[in-house]
Amino acid sequence: MNDFWIALVGMTCITFSCRYFFFSKTVPFELGTKIKRLLSYTAPSILTAMWVPIVFLGHQSTNNDFITSPFLIAGLITVVLSLRIKSTLAVVGLGISTFGLLKLMF
Amino acid sequence: MTTSRTIIARETAPSSPSDLKIIYQATIDILPLALATVPWGVLCGSLAINVGLSPLQAQLMSLLVFAGAAQLAALTIMGAVGSLTSMFSSTFVISSRHLLYSAVFREHVRKSSLGLRCCIAFFLTDEMFAVTCAYMRKHKVFSPVYAISSGVVFYLIWNISTFTGIVAGQHIPNIEHLGLEFAIAATFIAIVFPEIKSRSILFSVISSGLSAIVLSIFMKDYALIIATFIGMLCGYLTNDKECTDE
Repeated sequence: MNDFWIALVGMTCITFSCRYFFFSKTVPFELGTKIKRLLSYTAPSILTAMWVPIVFLGHQSTNNDFITSPFLIAGLITVVLSLRIKSTLAVVGLGISTFGLLKLMF
Repeated sequence: MTTSRTIIARETAPSSPSDLKIIYQATIDILPLALATVPWGVLCGSLAINVGLSPLQAQLMSLLVFAGAAQLAALTIMGAVGSLTSMFSSTFVISSRHLLYSAVFREHVRKSSLGLRCCIAFFLTDEMFAVTCAYMRKHKVFSPVYAISSGVVFYLIWNISTFTGIVAGQHIPNIEHLGLEFAIAATFIAIVFPEIKSRSILFSVISSGLSAIVLSIFMKDYALIIATFIGMLCGYLTNDKECTDE
């Protein structure tokens, strides 16, 4: 791709600007308590908006039905594990292994 | 009553731990999350080779852009020979969540030097934000050392896994059909569920999840950011109700 270098520079600038924007001293903006409280829901909302489509719509990229989709079954198992097991590494490891096993089975 | 108790708790809290201890703690906290993104990094590296980038170009993407979701989207667009405009707009839409993260950290880093602010901004990812917020809740203080060291550990592992993908992509066919993106779902599940400690967080998770499904079907490009706002708003509104109930 000839435009690769433009794409690379452009993407680098965009991602960095988004991360830096509110750190800037020139942005005149004070966070009120209401905004702060709204922002406290950022992480759970974003992360959920990212994992839910993978788990519930992942079957579209494979030949599985919705109900036998490894994405769905392993996803739900990971949810249960995350509520039972304290160690994040164990939850993620077991979740991915379950997915791998299901992938081999179906 | 509650406020005075918190103040006492803060005053009697042990003095801040040494930098070395913080770096160690940050590494321990981010490591599971970083390891879990290895499959994703491998996917990014191998996909980059598949769409025709050179190994150097593929690695540079992870070194400079350092944003998994945006990189995957851009590579998919490159593969479909899409325009630069569509690549940049999708990068912006996907990265716009980082605007929210930087808004959260704003009050803590605004007075720091330019170099430190740039450094924290560069290493700001979903995972770094999640562990730094958890640390902040626990110790009632924002630690730049913690933020940067967790970010650096994540950066190193992300780039090593991209490199692995670049090498593997040349040898393993159809690596993009292995379902490596499930790893990211598992990681986010493991981050989100232990944090659901109140009714309002539960509502924000449920509403964001439901709208993410519906929006992904009807308007895929903006699903992430709109679903996030719906989730935040629902959590915010629920919390209000909880306060008046009590």
